[in-house]
Amino acid sequence: MDLISNLAFGFSVAVTPMNLLLCLIGAVVGTLIGVLPGIGPLATIAMLLPITFGLPPVGALIMLAGIYYGAQYGGSTTSILINIPGESSSVVTTLDGHQMAKQGRAGPALAIAAIGSFIAGCFSTVLVAALGVPLTALALKFGPAEYFSLMVLGLVFAVVLAKGSVFKAIAMVMLGLLLSCVGSDIETGQSRLSFDIPELADGIGFVTVAMGVFGYAEIMRNLEQEESREIVEAKITGLMPTMKDFKDSFGAIMRGTALGSLLGILPGGGAVIAAFAAYTFEKKISKNPERFGRGAIEGVAAPESANNAAAQTSFIPLLTLGIPPNAVMALMVGAMTIHGIVPGPQVMTKQPELFWGLIASMWIGNLMLVVINLPLVGVWVSLLRVPYRLLFPAILIFCAIGVYSINNAPADAIMVAVFGFVGYWLVKCEFEPAPMLLGFVLGPLMEENLRRAMLIARGDPTTFLTRPISGVLLAIAAFLVVIALLPMIRGKRDEVFVESES
Amino acid sequence: MSEGQGGASAPASRNLIRSPRDFWGGLSLVLVAAFAIWASSDLPGMRGFAFGPGTAPRMFAYCLMALGFGVMLVGILTDGPPMEDYSFTGTFGGAVLVVALIPIYFFAAQITKMVPSVSHDVVIAAAGTIVVVVLAFLLTHVAPRGPLFITAATIIFAIAVRPLGLVIASYISLVISANATKEVRWVETLAWCAVLTAFCSVLFPYGLNLPLQLWPRF
Repeated sequence: MDLISNLAFGFSVAVTPMNLLLCLIGAVVGTLIGVLPGIGPLATIAMLLPITFGLPPVGALIMLAGIYYGAQYGGSTTSILINIPGESSSVVTTLDGHQMAKQGRAGPALAIAAIGSFIAGCFSTVLVAALGVPLTALALKFGPAEYFSLMVLGLVFAVVLAKGSVFKAIAMVMLGLLLSCVGSDIETGQSRLSFDIPELADGIGFVTVAMGVFGYAEIMRNLEQEESREIVEAKITGLMPTMKDFKDSFGAIMRGTALGSLLGILPGGGAVIAAFAAYTFEKKISKNPERFGRGAIEGVAAPESANNAAAQTSFIPLLTLGIPPNAVMALMVGAMTIHGIVPGPQVMTKQPELFWGLIASMWIGNLMLVVINLPLVGVWVSLLRVPYRLLFPAILIFCAIGVYSINNAPADAIMVAVFGFVGYWLVKCEFEPAPMLLGFVLGPLMEENLRRAMLIARGDPTTFLTRPISGVLLAIAAFLVVIALLPMIRGKRDEVFVESES
Repeated sequence: MSEGQGGASAPASRNLIRSPRDFWGGLSLVLVAAFAIWASSDLPGMRGFAFGPGTAPRMFAYCLMALGFGVMLVGILTDGPPMEDYSFTGTFGGAVLVVALIPIYFFAAQITKMVPSVSHDVVIAAAGTIVVVVLAFLLTHVAPRGPLFITAATIIFAIAVRPLGLVIASYISLVISANATKEVRWVETLAWCAVLTAFCSVLFPYGLNLPLQLWPRF
């Protein structure tokens, strides 16, 4: 079978000592930032993007991917032991996980979280591999009009699933698109909106925006909050769950994995939403929902499986269609561009070692994470004693040196600071920055495809509606916007989906 | 819109701006859009049915402006939570520090003209560091420390790294950044910053092979 031989090829790429090491580094760093509250995968990947410059592209992406799914593991540890979600995707895990810890069952909670994540990781690895080929085949049939409509759909998903007002989220996408126009025009090379400043002639760097709006703004916000990190010494006695725990959580893991995989593929989805959705779903179908919030093991198993599955399946649209479904994947686009790889269907044919190697490394990474997490739980928890006042200067200088080293341009570092307080202002006004980053990444692609499609159709904008695939995609997008706006008109909006990987 | 903070419970207030976060946020987007429309006004637009360089930026900017007005309207028509403390001063404090660099550039050009032996970079680094740090400390009376010192530290790194090299620039920048929180402890900070500087000076130029200059150029 093709799938098996492809995966075998992938493993042969992933098990080279260099790639294994990078995978391990990614997993360890991911666990670390997952454990530490106040620094998320988004900021970290933005911070480490410049560092991957000197690495081979496959290794770089393996490491960055490891950070993302590693963070999902690490986040659960602190949620369970000390009731602080290290990661926004682990917020729901605190509900039942910490209750279990209080009842002296921290060990089983941690073990189930890790086992659930591992099962989810295995399943979604296979899913990524299986869906890769057909989706790529589909994507190769896409013309500019279809691509444009697909990107519209992706952005609409991001808007619909974002927290708060739909209006504001659309405005953020638009701001991102506008920012992406800075620099030289793709066709004529004429400089646009750059005011003859040489540093702006090539456009605003992607890393600059991401680091500023996520990394810096996050530090500024964290510094305003009083530090109140109590270390509750939870005793971890006996990691092994009982047979009953396994029985109770098996279904939850399976359902969490399925739901997470689905939400990960959808644009705008991602680990955070998946965890929330899986928890809500478990509670709804449970025979006795009153157990939830009082230490139900399903309440740990489902969201932890879901966030890990989603973290991995969100690579599918990126690798096959070239469309990042969420902000972390947008950073992956940045990483690929740094290495001169254009994300899209051609990645699989032109760089099979990248595609399959990355997929295989995900499985290896998941295996490493189980080993890193379970026996070493004590080490990770003791890291929480590091106060934030020591942490943030380190993050800051890493960002500054990193962004400076990309082009050896001091102006880039100043731009990060500017985007830092722009992000601070946006958050203070309750604007979600994640849609902006997506708009910023998709901007040049969207403009290019829009222009091409219009040129092919000789200036007739109905081409987007009359071409069948494009028309269907736009119809779905319009439908979603209407659904999202309906509750707003009624004056209420569901608060379940909190996308805040910032 | 986040729950709580008394926004919903406040009776329809008599103020014009009932949801300040929406209103001011929307207004800032309108201003950005207006600026972009002005800045792209000299770019050629549609040529027949082909897009010109100015078409897309103007299109996005007009959309942004309309959305910004929409968000402002929401701010006038619905109730929402008040602005958080320091929303304005934090943002503008950071902006002031960046803008302060512009006169320093002119000043440095003058100095280099008068005393040709002094390099332009060094003047900017020295004058810039002093001005930015003094300004940041002055502004702490009205603005939160976080945005001020994070911005200041980054600016200082940017202007110092070329003339002074990575080691000195990182160390100064780290020590400045430590002021971003009130709970700064000097001995601990100075030592910890030295550790971080050493770590960065090994990791970036040697570990990652990046062409960074470690020491001053003169």
